[in-house]
Amino acid sequence: MKKALITGITGQDGSYLTEQLLEKGYEVHGIIRRSSSFNTSRIDHLIENDEIYNSRLFLHHGDLTDSSNLNRVLERVGPDEIYNLAAQSHVKVSFEVPEYTAEVDAVGTLRFLDAIKETGLARKVRFYQASTSELYGKVQEVPQSETTPFYPRSPYGVAKLYGYWIVVNYRESYGIHASNGILFNHESPRRGETFVTRKITRAAGRIREGLEDVLLLGNLGAQRDWGYAPEYTEMMWRILQQPEPGDYVCATGEMHTVREFCEHAFAAVGLPVEFTGEGVDEKGICKETGRTLIAVSPNYFRPAEVEELLGNPAKAKRVLGWEPKVTFRDLVTIMAEADWNLAKREVAQKGH
Amino acid sequence: MSDVQARRVLISGITGQDGSYLAEALVAKGCEVHGLVRRLSHEDGSRLRHLDGLMRERRIVLHAADLSDRGAIRRIFESVSPAEFYHLAGQSHVGLSFEIPESTFTEVAGSTLALLEICRDLPEPPRFYHAGSSEIFGNPAEVPQNEDSAYRPTSPYGCAKAFAVNLCRVYREAYGLFVSSGIAYNHESVRRGENFVTRKIVMSAVRAARGDDQVLELGNLNARRDWGYAPEFVDGIQRILQHHEAGEFVLATGALTSLREFVAGAFRAVGIDIEFRGEGSEEIGLDGATGKLLLRVNPRYFRPLDPLNLVGDASKASRELGWRPTVRGIDLAAKLVSDELAEGPPERH
Repeated sequence: MKKALITGITGQDGSYLTEQLLEKGYEVHGIIRRSSSFNTSRIDHLIENDEIYNSRLFLHHGDLTDSSNLNRVLERVGPDEIYNLAAQSHVKVSFEVPEYTAEVDAVGTLRFLDAIKETGLARKVRFYQASTSELYGKVQEVPQSETTPFYPRSPYGVAKLYGYWIVVNYRESYGIHASNGILFNHESPRRGETFVTRKITRAAGRIREGLEDVLLLGNLGAQRDWGYAPEYTEMMWRILQQPEPGDYVCATGEMHTVREFCEHAFAAVGLPVEFTGEGVDEKGICKETGRTLIAVSPNYFRPAEVEELLGNPAKAKRVLGWEPKVTFRDLVTIMAEADWNLAKREVAQKGH
Repeated sequence: MSDVQARRVLISGITGQDGSYLAEALVAKGCEVHGLVRRLSHEDGSRLRHLDGLMRERRIVLHAADLSDRGAIRRIFESVSPAEFYHLAGQSHVGLSFEIPESTFTEVAGSTLALLEICRDLPEPPRFYHAGSSEIFGNPAEVPQNEDSAYRPTSPYGCAKAFAVNLCRVYREAYGLFVSSGIAYNHESVRRGENFVTRKIVMSAVRAARGDDQVLELGNLNARRDWGYAPEFVDGIQRILQHHEAGEFVLATGALTSLREFVAGAFRAVGIDIEFRGEGSEEIGLDGATGKLLLRVNPRYFRPLDPLNLVGDASKASRELGWRPTVRGIDLAAKLVSDELAEGPPERH
């Protein structure tokens, strides 16, 4: 039975990947940060399953900022595959906590690779690094592929770029099977509520159910390449099954605006909107009632906005046989319906 | 310095090669120079030896604080309130970074981040110079490299420097701070530590000329570098912060010289014609006149990855700053030997 070790197991990607690996027959080990209140909601359904938890799924306390702890976990688990998904992954927050972001996203990756080298696992283990389209930042060409030069525009992007290069470095210097997946935005009902997609679908459901009045957003014209997270975690696994390590762009190859995302999300909950005005005065108005449902707040503008992030997944298709199947419209609908159900449940609970 | 207020500047890494040359140059221009130095429980003096003259004449003010001590650094910035800050500190040995990758990150990248954060919070942020490095290009996609070339670092040092150069740009673009990085190629002087290859070669040539029995051990003799003269690069550094626009600037000579050529040049400068025999890790260097063994290759000095074709195109610095280095390659080897001899007899080992 193959053993996988996952950092960031409680996150969106970690939870989907865990489910998929368990399904493939893996023994899965996760590293979770010690905290006074556990945030394991995305894997609670696995932890509460006696046939899985502590028989095929194990959790270890740990932290990417603690090298000796990483060494111990590596030695105890002896994994065949490592998925390094843990990160301070919020771009705007990284402007507020840049040092912490660097500590976890940059040095954390280095510590992990160095621990692999030091524990003698360099020839045995395969390492997946969660890289990100934020590396491209102010894009140097459209669409972006594995050969596009990077130009990060946030402390998060800069820290992740260090992680990317240190992976390449340890691969070339020490022969470690270490690969980068350069993932463009990938979303799901498990996305954190501070991310723009989830914020939109959550607000759509809650406005529909009368729990909120209006959704405030930043730059509505910002464009992203959004995919469906479970398809992206499947690709992570495929990357580690390759005989040779490498770096892969993982994207849909389609770009949509925040505005379009809003239109589909609100339509999915029965609140069709149309946009009027420009810049900070732009508003999303309900076509039926004329109510303002969406407004712009400069508070959500990033200090340096990233434009035209569009991935070219040709290499992933050619080498890995990977192709995303869930369309943009499907993705928004999946998320909007899930959040609408949550909102309905909240209303029902309040009613009792 | 009559009625005009002296320009106040702060330098990190002031005890190093570039820092000490820079301090001298700025003092000569009438600046009030402050330096950050690490506090040591035992001060052996040698660390400050390049600053001896300036300290005797009380031309500089040193502040003791470790860069990892954010509170102390912040207080120094607040009390000095510099108009310019030159961030030159950091572990600068590429080979060593493979052994100590994490502290290399902390010193090179983490400290730059902390300093940018401190400056961002100041009511009047100083102009900020960051000492970048050609190592960010590592295995370059194009030859020569300019400010727009893609970064492809091949060492933990290069990765950390790429982090720092990128972050400086992010702070400039996101917050409008005046932050510039000099992307400097190798620049050498007699103030280099002897663990750096040029100084090691020069010292070996000087000792050989004196008749000392010693064999110089080096790594890959085919490694080629764009080597310049540190005092000229320090002039470039000053020009960068006086420019009206912040940005990245490549500082380089544009000439590639192999380690083998550099060795030959240094020994020729002391009157020894060195002959190379053998290949790869078997290669040796003999005194052409006497046949005495002077050099052997030791694979211990091979790097896991050696950058190829790191050579800079400094036309932006030439065009915008009027900066034109004159000493390069084999001329540099001869220049360093004559500087070394002018400094007096080297200490024995």
